[in-house]
Amino acid sequence: MELIVSLVGVPCLAALLMLIVRNDKARNVLAVASAAVIGVLSVAFAIIYLGDSPVYFALPASTAGMLGVVNFLIEIAVGAFILAYAIRYKRMLALGLAIVQLVMAVWIEVSVLAGHEFSTQMRIDQLTVIMALIIGIVGSGICVYALGYMKDFQSHHADQKDRRPWFFALMFAFLAAMFNIVFSDNMAWIYTAWEVTTLCSFLLIGFTKTEEAINNAFRQIVMNMLGGIAFQIAIAFAALNGLPLVFSEFLTAGTMAANSASAALFAIPVVLLAFAGMTKAAQMPFHTWLLGAMVAPTPTSALLHSSTMVKAGVFLLIKLSPLFLVFPIASSMVVLIGGFTFLFCSFLAISQSNAKRVLAYSTIANLGLITACAGVGTPEAVWAAIFLVIFHAVAKSLLFLCVGTAEHHIGSRNIEDMDELFERMPRLARFMMLGIMCMFIAPFGMLVSKWATLVSFATTGQIVLLVLLAFGSAATFMFWGKWLGKLAGIAAHRENVELSVNKSEWGAIVLMAVLVVLCCVGMPSLSSAFVEPYLMGVYGLASSVIGFDNMVIMGIIVAFVVVVLFGTLGKANKKLVPVYMAGITVNSPKRIFRGSLGGEREATSRNWYLEGIFGEKRLNKPATYFTAAVLIICIAVSVFAGNIVSGSVSVPLYMQTVALNESVFSTLIGIVAFLVLGPVLGCLLAGLDRIISARMQGRVGPPLLQPYYDVRKLIAKDNVSVNTVEGTYITMALVFTLIAGGVFFGGGNFLMCVFLVTLSALFFILAAYSSRSPYAEIGADREILQVMSYEPMILFVAVGMVLTLGTFDVAGILHSNAPMIVAAWPIFIGLLFVLTIKLRKSPFDLSYSHHAHQELVKGVTTEMSGRTLAKVEIMHWCENILFMAWVAMFFVWSNPLSIVLAIVAALAVYFLEIWIDNNFARVKWQSCLKWAWIVSLVAGFANIAGLVLYITFM
Amino acid sequence: MSSVSKSPWVIHYDGSSCNGCDIEVLAALTPLYDVERFGIINTGNPKHADIFLVTGSVNEQNIGVVKEIYDQMVEPKVVVACGICACSAGIFHDCYNIIGGVDKAIPVDVYVPGCAVRPEAIIDGVVQGLAILEEKSKALEASKKKGE
Repeated sequence: MELIVSLVGVPCLAALLMLIVRNDKARNVLAVASAAVIGVLSVAFAIIYLGDSPVYFALPASTAGMLGVVNFLIEIAVGAFILAYAIRYKRMLALGLAIVQLVMAVWIEVSVLAGHEFSTQMRIDQLTVIMALIIGIVGSGICVYALGYMKDFQSHHADQKDRRPWFFALMFAFLAAMFNIVFSDNMAWIYTAWEVTTLCSFLLIGFTKTEEAINNAFRQIVMNMLGGIAFQIAIAFAALNGLPLVFSEFLTAGTMAANSASAALFAIPVVLLAFAGMTKAAQMPFHTWLLGAMVAPTPTSALLHSSTMVKAGVFLLIKLSPLFLVFPIASSMVVLIGGFTFLFCSFLAISQSNAKRVLAYSTIANLGLITACAGVGTPEAVWAAIFLVIFHAVAKSLLFLCVGTAEHHIGSRNIEDMDELFERMPRLARFMMLGIMCMFIAPFGMLVSKWATLVSFATTGQIVLLVLLAFGSAATFMFWGKWLGKLAGIAAHRENVELSVNKSEWGAIVLMAVLVVLCCVGMPSLSSAFVEPYLMGVYGLASSVIGFDNMVIMGIIVAFVVVVLFGTLGKANKKLVPVYMAGITVNSPKRIFRGSLGGEREATSRNWYLEGIFGEKRLNKPATYFTAAVLIICIAVSVFAGNIVSGSVSVPLYMQTVALNESVFSTLIGIVAFLVLGPVLGCLLAGLDRIISARMQGRVGPPLLQPYYDVRKLIAKDNVSVNTVEGTYITMALVFTLIAGGVFFGGGNFLMCVFLVTLSALFFILAAYSSRSPYAEIGADREILQVMSYEPMILFVAVGMVLTLGTFDVAGILHSNAPMIVAAWPIFIGLLFVLTIKLRKSPFDLSYSHHAHQELVKGVTTEMSGRTLAKVEIMHWCENILFMAWVAMFFVWSNPLSIVLAIVAALAVYFLEIWIDNNFARVKWQSCLKWAWIVSLVAGFANIAGLVLYITFM
Repeated sequence: MSSVSKSPWVIHYDGSSCNGCDIEVLAALTPLYDVERFGIINTGNPKHADIFLVTGSVNEQNIGVVKEIYDQMVEPKVVVACGICACSAGIFHDCYNIIGGVDKAIPVDVYVPGCAVRPEAIIDGVVQGLAILEEKSKALEASKKKGE
């Protein structure tokens, strides 16, 4: 109990001290000390309460009563504050809402809750512990970071009054309020803390007092007050109808009410609380407040996005998730809005060049995913949601801190200006790359959580969510990948500008980076120590969604990537040569050349933003209207027809996946086998490809072993490179392809295989970007686009697999009675379509090809030579074998002879691909994206919907 | 024959010429001559190429480009001058802007005369270039070993 008091008390005290202390040095010392105390306390808290939870705290009636009064006073103060601001800036809407809220608060306190005794005040379970750790460590880390940042900020805005004491007081007050939200079990207290966070973020967003800041601050407060009022109505409704006001009791009573008369009573507060949670979690149509919040100094954004505010919203939703299992309307609302928010915001992020806006859209998108998981409400989905919360908190705070520091040193937050950051701020760029990778690529945490999300959606038959997830994730690859590429460029001789970064900023950034790595590597323990016990407590059953061994493999790979990124990258000892500019190079680092048109010109390149397809102008309106309509309809149905539609279990289907062959050992055997067979068979296949192509053109063609001769020759070439990292990236790409093959041929998890192939593709792309050759960059851009084009279909293959076989493990095909092709032929056709993209065959050989050599010079591989190019060739051999194995997988069943059939089928498919290659002219990238997505959508959706319906009704 | 000579990748550059020889170079790629039988590929990227096939002579405008492409190629590498213009500037030799054959810009290993040069001659020249490529490869190997 003392711990809880001090966890809330220390930030409060720190906030007060911050207000008083005006001296810079004293503030630094105090802030670091308070942050350290909060961090240590939260760890101590975790250690003490981890084992024996949930723990309830019932205060003596007198203390509780007194605290209740304090809470009420805080509520009134908050209301009065907002009222004063609304009057001062003449905002009628905010004024109206503030009055409503104040009246409601008084009414609830004086009339509704008068004399109400709460049986408990505080409740602690593993979820609370996780949240406390996030708030205590990440939150206070950001406060430390702010010290250095705000010092720079003040010197950049020397004309303004130094209002830093106010800023730091708000930051710490924010933490105190967050602790209150997660600890309280009394709904009235949760609400008070809820409003305090709203007010704090209002003041922090409006901190600079520019017109834009004030406007955005008011937008935030109006939207969040709507949520607040919904919360108040929920409390009042519950109190008036005799429902429990202790949150934990409310949750259990709600779940018990399933299939009984009282279910209808719960429908209204549940939907209102969900609404409140979604406004705070900035779900569409309320996402604009979080975008607007970007005007605030960066530590504010980091705090809002990672550990506080929006996390309060999803915390509430995750708490409510058992109820969503029994209230289908509330569940549909949360699931649909969360899912569509994920999709739309991932799309919108593509069109943004402002780094902070990209981060904001990505936050909203990920919150959408968490919301959707909470809405599904099964233990698996909640497992995924909690991990998304954890990884999002650490990775996003790392990213915000990096962007903030970069902004102060390069003078811009535009991604275009982060060109070559790898050289200008070598350490910072690596931290930023780590953060970005953690957000979107396996084996890092966020993607492993997304993997769990996919599993939970697939096993509960959430057809719409699956489609949204597949396309949204593809878009995620695009916007993170191109940003990563910008950072990775190396041109030599750029000035290092990171020497002047403040120590406190480094401290916080390193802390976040360490947290990211620890969380990723320690994921299996996080699951067994925190998340599974929580699910056990809530649902009475728990299992980690992703097999232990798979998490271990992922952890090992994370460690490997981190070691390479920070340890060895850039230290290769190679002869360095300038890039090829297709003219006379005048200045290689600056990319100035003399071309055939005469005169010196500079080659420049920008990221792709695809505004015509994913721009705000095009997507904002439909997205907002659609989600608003969903919201209104669902609330209306809950209010007016709650008694008809409540109380039955809402999951359309609930199947368990089986893990058949996911051990580290079998993966190792698979890797060894693939290490030998992949290159050998791949080489023969490539030779066959060239001979058949030649015959189709009426030529004799090269010998069968020609690809082998090519690689032998490339290895014998002189060892030169355009930079020191390219070769390392390519080696990693090759290694990951081999591991992916190992996972597949070891009978392991198909999704893991897919994710590792994507990881390999990412490193291939990074190698191209790092060269800074204009041709390689265009090739890499197109390669990213191709990944985005084919990714949804590959995920549909995995979903089709689990719906037909009941497992994601490749070994499952050997146990089934019929080959997958029988039930999943539309998905197979879709796979055939995207296979052409994956094999980089015409008409989709956009990024680089064996034909049409003159265009784009050689795309992605333009600057690769000798050994590096040899590795690329070997990687492609292995990839081709792996993809053909994916095809063959559709034709195998328990009959061992079927393997022969599968090999024949795979060869036939490869022949088809060669035929397509030789008979179709290359299309533009627009057509590639359009057709790949249309085919994926139609084939994937139809097939998955059919399978789900079949399983549900048969 | 080592692997080097089984997989000669070619980059083709046309200097100052009547384009006759270029058309013959392209003819060598067609089904009739099918140079891919010998593993020859026309790459279009100096970083990937082993053999620099130059047609046409060198003039004030393109001498820098010829040098650039040669410098960009990774060792071991061979230059084959195709056609009389590439060998000695041919009928253009006394034009005001012409410097001369390719050897005025970069070291040439094989001279293939002809106006226009026949595809058979080009193939013959490339094959002779392979022998030189082989020698250079061995020299590189030896120098690498010495370096280590």
